[in-house]
Amino acid sequence: MVKKILMSLLPKIAIQAKALRKEVQLTDARLTILQQINLTINSGETVAVVGASGSGKSTLLGILAGLDTVSSGEVYLAGQPLHQLDDDARAQLRAKEVGFVFQSFLLLPSLTALENITLPAELAGIKDATARGRKLLSDVGLTERADFYPSQLSGGEQQRVAIARAFITEPAILFADEPSANLDAATGAKIEDLLFALNEQQGTTLVLVTHNPQLAQRCQRQLNMHAGELTELKPEVGDVA
Amino acid sequence: MWLNIAARLFWRELRRGELWVIAFALCLAVFTVVSLTGITESVRSALSQRSSNFIAADKILRSSLPFNEQIFQNAEQLGLKTAKQMQFSTMVFAGDQMQLVSVKAVSPSYPLRGRLLLKSSEQADATTSNTVVKDQVFLEPRLLQLLNIGIGDSLELGVSRFVVGGIIAEEPDAPLSVFGNAPRVLMHVDDVAATEVVQPGSRIGYRYQFAGDTNTLKTLEQQVKPLLTVHDRWQSLDRESAVGSALDRAEKFLLLAGLLGIVLAACAAAVAASQYSQRHQMAVAVIKALGTTTAMARRIYASHLAMVSLFSIVTGLLLGQLASSGAQWFIEVWLGDYRPEFSSRPLWLGALTGVICATLFSARPIWRLAAVPALNVLRQRALSFQLDLWQLVTGGLAIWLLMWLFSGDWWLSSWLFVLCLAFAALLLGMAAVLVRLAKPMAAGQSSALKLALANLRRRLWPNSFQLITFSLALFLTLILYFLRAELISQWQQQVPAGAPNQFLVNINEAEKPQIIQLLTDNQLKAGDFYPMVSGRVLTVNNEKLPESDGREQDAEQSNAGQSDAGQSNAAQQNPERQKGEQQADIADNTLAAGRDTQNSGTASSGTRREGIGRELNLTWLHTLPANNQIVAGQWFGAEDKAQVSVEEKLAERLALELGDTIGFSVGGQPFTATVSSFRKVDWNSLQPNFFMILSPDLMQNFPATYLTAFYLPKQQTALLNEMARSFPTISVLSVDNILKQVNDIIAQVSLALTVILVLVFAAAVLVLVAQVQATLEQREQELAILRTLGAKTVFLRKAVLAEFAALGLMAGVFATLLAEVLLAVVQMRLFQLPFSLHFNLWWIGPGLGLALICGLGWLLLRHLLQLPTPVLLRRALS
Repeated sequence: MVKKILMSLLPKIAIQAKALRKEVQLTDARLTILQQINLTINSGETVAVVGASGSGKSTLLGILAGLDTVSSGEVYLAGQPLHQLDDDARAQLRAKEVGFVFQSFLLLPSLTALENITLPAELAGIKDATARGRKLLSDVGLTERADFYPSQLSGGEQQRVAIARAFITEPAILFADEPSANLDAATGAKIEDLLFALNEQQGTTLVLVTHNPQLAQRCQRQLNMHAGELTELKPEVGDVA
Repeated sequence: MWLNIAARLFWRELRRGELWVIAFALCLAVFTVVSLTGITESVRSALSQRSSNFIAADKILRSSLPFNEQIFQNAEQLGLKTAKQMQFSTMVFAGDQMQLVSVKAVSPSYPLRGRLLLKSSEQADATTSNTVVKDQVFLEPRLLQLLNIGIGDSLELGVSRFVVGGIIAEEPDAPLSVFGNAPRVLMHVDDVAATEVVQPGSRIGYRYQFAGDTNTLKTLEQQVKPLLTVHDRWQSLDRESAVGSALDRAEKFLLLAGLLGIVLAACAAAVAASQYSQRHQMAVAVIKALGTTTAMARRIYASHLAMVSLFSIVTGLLLGQLASSGAQWFIEVWLGDYRPEFSSRPLWLGALTGVICATLFSARPIWRLAAVPALNVLRQRALSFQLDLWQLVTGGLAIWLLMWLFSGDWWLSSWLFVLCLAFAALLLGMAAVLVRLAKPMAAGQSSALKLALANLRRRLWPNSFQLITFSLALFLTLILYFLRAELISQWQQQVPAGAPNQFLVNINEAEKPQIIQLLTDNQLKAGDFYPMVSGRVLTVNNEKLPESDGREQDAEQSNAGQSDAGQSNAAQQNPERQKGEQQADIADNTLAAGRDTQNSGTASSGTRREGIGRELNLTWLHTLPANNQIVAGQWFGAEDKAQVSVEEKLAERLALELGDTIGFSVGGQPFTATVSSFRKVDWNSLQPNFFMILSPDLMQNFPATYLTAFYLPKQQTALLNEMARSFPTISVLSVDNILKQVNDIIAQVSLALTVILVLVFAAAVLVLVAQVQATLEQREQELAILRTLGAKTVFLRKAVLAEFAALGLMAGVFATLLAEVLLAVVQMRLFQLPFSLHFNLWWIGPGLGLALICGLGWLLLRHLLQLPTPVLLRRALS
């Protein structure tokens, strides 16, 4: 009983990578993109991954989110061994546990703002998708834009819709890939505020890939990716080897 | 759950117009097949009905025995329409005038097909009727002149006397032979018995005429089989006359056009599906990143394709049916007596085309679309959805399958398919070389042209594919355009304006200059005079030929319309007999005999030598007639003595070889001639033709009569009466009616060909549109980048135009090259036409490619070029 109470007091692990390695075969050579990554991210943490272009940030994000596979090593997402799951099982896990915010918004052009937001909820089989969608739309300040198509929205508005979409399934983990890089500074800042506000509100684990040091500073932890190797810049809670 | 999402995405995409391109392409494929098959079938059935008009029925049973009423009863029980017809030759008398005539006695239901027009006088406002009445006869107008009587007067036929009820203005089954027969008399079949012309042993042609649908006619054929004897024979439509061969060629053309239409439609479907997949790959990556499995993504997009296919197939079927009904209506208006027939074949073939195009052309890109990795949301890497090997193989098989189903001709579809494949491969090679050459060519050019050439080179494979599609579409259009022109001109050459429409037979030596004089006085030109003498072929290499080959009956039957004249008992009793027989023989020597020998040609495939069994008309000439062609040996020169040139089919029948000696008998005098050449004769030429042409030295001592032909304008027909009076022994045979019918058919078929050409051209244009639209999104992005970099509208316009101009010109040149090659093959192999170069093709092909592709490119991209930069940027980014 005591052990059980102690266990519940210990931080819960959201993401764990052990000796993660990613290589790709080029025409005449084998390129190592990620080497020996060990990483643990606890639930509710906000983690920024920074690094130069081509350092492997996005590849790491793809693997941690179950979009990509590892060459060797182990990856756990919400306790599930991603490295052992096939494409469909990873998709189901994403539907249940993961939300995304992309640099170029990636809204479906044929769906309205509201429909874009409710899409992941419908895919996950959530019943009150529309009600949740309207609530989130109001949270991101776009109530009036519910029936607008992406092409009728500004870049900032599109990203707000994308953020609302990311939170609709109340995911355990949110992955954000350069969420404000395509926006001007003022809009970008508003988007970042919104992202962190919703994250805090829902207690989501946030993994954010960015070039922007100011944005990275807003996260509890910052990890630096350089030539496929990951180092902790401001270790606080998790462990990085 | 996926169904909800699929349905929502479907309606949204439908509203946004995303699915319309693919829907349009599938609809086009179905529409092309339904309308082309429908129109082709309508034209075919109209032409066949038209041909039915030539025999005044759908099917005829010919017999030399009296009518077996049981056969008519069977037909009536089956719901078929029936008519009786008897044909014989006899003399008619009016006062002191007499004339050998060809009598056609018919039941009131005659004609079952076509129109009979009887007029109460020769005046334009004369009252008309369409059926024969008892106790009256109707005459060919020239017979009134010959007998010197008028309408309302009476004449004697056999032992009966009849009132002349009127003249025959139109007779559907008028003889098609150049040398018709004696003037026609039309009477009621029930009046024949009273004339007592029909005696035991009389040579009467009996015809059972039937009309109804094809299947019932086949049933009848089976049912009455036990009732038939060796004296009965079914008559099929005449396919070897000038009209018949025109119809054959037209059918082949329509078939070819249909096949080419299918290839174009299939290309459009494949292009549209690839384009759709290309545009949707990011959406798939997104929904997969959001948790959709590949299987579910596949279900979502497959359901879209299924819904679009269903919608497109139904729409295509409706529109196609509407188009073919429109064509049927047009044919009905045009022909007057055309009976549209519903056929389900175009519909099921269209639906099948839609399903095959959707599954084998469109399903593959959709299948690949669902396999787009979710990771692409991070990589933002676009995959290429150009045709892959799998799609090429299945698509190729599908095209072949469709061609086969459509044509029902395994050989033709395979041949055309392999040809298309070879062309595609050749084009791909040529395109690759040319596009690679674009780099050195770009050096020293203006920057707009440089950009255009760089664009071409950068998208080498997509451009090669585009180039192939463009070239194929242009090539198919050019092929059809030129074949159509070729066919029409060949037909018109067969019956050129001013072709002889009157033939004069039985001219003696003394009358020759008088005839020439008469014609010259009337500003008319006489043709060549062909000397003629009747003779028998007795021996070949001293081996006696059988007197009769047992086919006389057949010949009599198959040529009943043309050569019954002069062979009845009644005719044997009168002094005109010789003339009548001669006419019949001449008829055999021309068109009719052409068919006759072709029939016997198959029967005599062995080496057994068959006799001719009757006299032939022999002629002797110094020069080879224009429409004859030597196929073996040599035409005799001035010094050659005792030689003969033989028509090739007759030579086959007599098992002749060059150098053989033929023994003839003319007027009881025997002589021999050596076979020096074999000739191919164009029996469709409506010119005098002969089986045997002798060297002039042989015939010097025989008395001959002459045959000539001339063109008589309609307004001078009175001259025929004058001729009949001045030269009573000369027979004037008019072929005006045949020429009119042939010209009529040519005009109708030409129109049908034009309609189909327009349809195929439209299909080609739509393929081009689909292809250009496929690149719109990419172009939008490029334009946004170039605009951002400061490119001016004029510069961009020039670059776009130059790119399309280069593509159009290349496609035009390729299409021209290939069209010239294929035209040569089709011309010589399929249509048996002589080879000729198409100089016009060399400017029409490249010009059309340039104008069409430039024009379409400009039309489709114009709005993009006019967009302000910020709008362009926003569109490109979203």
